[in-house]
Amino acid sequence: MSTPTAATKNPAPSPRPDVTPPGRWEFPEPTTSRLDNGLAVAAYDIPGQYVLSVRVVVPLSPRDEPREHEGVASLMSRLLDEGTRTHTTDEFTELLERKGIDFGAGLSESGLTVHGEVSKRNLTDALELIREALAEPSFPEKEVTRLIRTRLAEIEQERASAPHRAMREFAATWFDSAERASRPAAGTPETVRGLTRHEVVAFHQAHVAPNAATVVIAGDLDGLDAHALAADVFGAWSPAPVAQPQLPTPSRPGDDRLRIVLVDRPGSVQSEIVVGCAGPDRHVAPAWAAYPVLSFLIGGSPNARVDAVLREDKGFTYGMRSSFRPRRAGGLFLTTGSVRTEVTAQALGLLLGILDDARDGFSAQETTDSVDFIRNTAPARFATADEVADEAAGLSLDGLPPTFTTANLDAMGELTPEALRAAYDRFVDGQWCVVIVGDASAYADSIRALGRGEVSVVPN
Amino acid sequence: MPLDYPLVEHTLANGLRVVISPDHSVPTVTVNLWANVGSRHEVAGRTGFAHLFEHLMFQGSRNVASGEHFSLLMAAGGRLNATTWFDRTNYFETVPTGALDLALWLEADRHGHLLDAVNQANLDNQRDVVKEEKRQRYDNVPYGNALRDLYATVFPDDHPYHHPTIGSMADLDAATVDDVHDFFRAHYGPDNTVLTLVGDIEPEDGIARIERYFADLPAIAHSPRPNLPQLDPLSEPARHTVISEVPNDRLYLGFRLPTERDPRYLAAALAMEALAGLSMSRMVRRLVRGDQSATSVQGHTMGFVDGVSLGLLAVDVAEGVDPNAVEEVLMEELHRFADEGPSEVELEAALAGAERGWLSDLAAQDQRADAFSHQALLHHDPDYVNRFLDELAAITPEEVTTAAKEWLDPHSRAVVAYLTGQDEVA
Repeated sequence: MSTPTAATKNPAPSPRPDVTPPGRWEFPEPTTSRLDNGLAVAAYDIPGQYVLSVRVVVPLSPRDEPREHEGVASLMSRLLDEGTRTHTTDEFTELLERKGIDFGAGLSESGLTVHGEVSKRNLTDALELIREALAEPSFPEKEVTRLIRTRLAEIEQERASAPHRAMREFAATWFDSAERASRPAAGTPETVRGLTRHEVVAFHQAHVAPNAATVVIAGDLDGLDAHALAADVFGAWSPAPVAQPQLPTPSRPGDDRLRIVLVDRPGSVQSEIVVGCAGPDRHVAPAWAAYPVLSFLIGGSPNARVDAVLREDKGFTYGMRSSFRPRRAGGLFLTTGSVRTEVTAQALGLLLGILDDARDGFSAQETTDSVDFIRNTAPARFATADEVADEAAGLSLDGLPPTFTTANLDAMGELTPEALRAAYDRFVDGQWCVVIVGDASAYADSIRALGRGEVSVVPN
Repeated sequence: MPLDYPLVEHTLANGLRVVISPDHSVPTVTVNLWANVGSRHEVAGRTGFAHLFEHLMFQGSRNVASGEHFSLLMAAGGRLNATTWFDRTNYFETVPTGALDLALWLEADRHGHLLDAVNQANLDNQRDVVKEEKRQRYDNVPYGNALRDLYATVFPDDHPYHHPTIGSMADLDAATVDDVHDFFRAHYGPDNTVLTLVGDIEPEDGIARIERYFADLPAIAHSPRPNLPQLDPLSEPARHTVISEVPNDRLYLGFRLPTERDPRYLAAALAMEALAGLSMSRMVRRLVRGDQSATSVQGHTMGFVDGVSLGLLAVDVAEGVDPNAVEEVLMEELHRFADEGPSEVELEAALAGAERGWLSDLAAQDQRADAFSHQALLHHDPDYVNRFLDELAAITPEEVTTAAKEWLDPHSRAVVAYLTGQDEVA
């Protein structure tokens, strides 16, 4: 034990203060409406949030793309703000920026999300421009060509980034090669090079319409009628017979997924590790509640099981993270992070041991601390318009009601160590798909010696 | 019109400066401390030390076991971290209101009594962790050391901003437990720190609680050196070329700028927006959407306090395009802007974007607290958070033009070029 230093004169420190537990908290409830064109509207009033956040979500899936045109959905989403029937690319860009509108569009495995952030007084302009981008994009030939080139450059940048390269190899190893999920959502060089304006226009026509879409408006709505405003602006968006997104069924894993793939990068100073197995989606019965808790407990903080050993005891890593990652149907349980080259095999052995040992269960203290962290951080995690809109948009794309977030937090309060163990055991069986990006020659033999699966080496 | 986030300032007898801004919209409070020490205070042979030290602040103190700072606050529903930068080190947590006392107690224990718990084992462990952080974020990343190279090219050898916050492996290896003791005694004390509370707390109550936990911390009789005088722009172009296995050629252009509270800094920042920050900016329009010789162009500024700030352009050169030709176009656009000044629309867009960005930053309690601490610690003026947008809007087109002429002159550029090829440094 230590002794007080000369600089201190307070040998009787105040005792550690007790914590008063917070009361129950609920995710804000939206007011909802539906326009004649089928567009669902959800408005979240969050007093004091003067930057309003808008999301429009359109359920669609990269699975809907023709095999030879993979990447078209992503390209379409990136082109939405590159010009419309009413405005050229430069005009549209200028209209957004003169009103300070932060516009973005992105594609996930479950759908298209257009997002806008804007000062309260410019909300109407933002909604107008978002409608224009979704309803009447012109997809100028020149911008199509440009964004294809940009995607090709991005593919090279992703190949150079160890975390991206590792996830790409993991998807290719884990999923059956016939599954869309085994290949990059934004397309490969082979498919992207072949895309033209024609495919982009066709994909947009077939999949983007108000009938299946939802708009979320979150922020300080005092003095605003968000529903009337949405009806005014989005009412002009014509419904269209869009193709039904394919039924949400889990992507099939490949038969030879349980092995170790080393992506070779001679001279790499670190090894990027991905370890994974199957996990649930958020519709899982009896409840999703256990999985965020398990993610935190196993690999969500410096004191979680993984980093308590690999970071705080061994100093092998800046930090590794474990998380259950739900997809629209099915999911993955992934642990990712990097360690220095010299300790790669040792780190992998320790990591697999920690993940396997978790099948023996969790203590009451771990359970309580993890549940309390997730439940009691919720008010701050969902305090801004942006965070509320994001959560609401994600729920909508996953086909979950806005009450899901609160119900899920409530369900966490009922979790026992036994329930956590059952939830973990349901997906984790001690068999893993492992990808490591790094200098394979430095550790291939010692990884083989771990005896945790067949090892193969592939080029970067 | 200025924003009206409420604000109460108070100074404890030991010199601790306190800022409190009540906001009862969410039942949480952010505790945010800025210590007036960053990598700019590091001495030769000890680069990276301020950041390594920050890691040790989580390894226990007089009444707190190693790792407990994280585990106690997280179990109480707190989210927390710390970061180190050139000018300062910040420590922060957002906790449910009922855990505010615990958070203050933990902060007071480590800010007052860290050294009781520092030992060779936790120094060695966190040194390893920081070296992995350096590898993960810089050494094992394409272009990962480009900013390090740019700082070294644009700032003089003996300048505090010449080296990056992460430091060098050799200096991290050289750090000793004695260094930790010396550093703590030199820089960590209530009279060299600002503590901000934002959230579900009234000022009087907040001040009483802070007095309870921090009043006993002794001042360190700190006598900081004054900030360095303003550096002039580079007198001639400087250049550093790296041939590396990067995915594409990329150019970084750096410019010395006035310090962050100099109105000329704001003028230069607006110029940078009009040149390359906005999607409608001149360089993006010409190089990305126009002749497509670049796949991306970005421009922004980093405000510092110690005699200089940094203006930064980064350009991804399209495949098959000569990077020198792209650099020529950048020069042309810089000249043209200095001649013409900003258009009305460019300024309108830059201000509209700044407004949305600033309000967005302040939307969350934790970021608002960080903004208050920043202005309180480095400028003794937390209310600047409320006035910033007005000060920005008061900048005239002429001031933007003058700033571009004086500070964004192509002749004063530092260029760091990462070019594709087998590894080599020229």
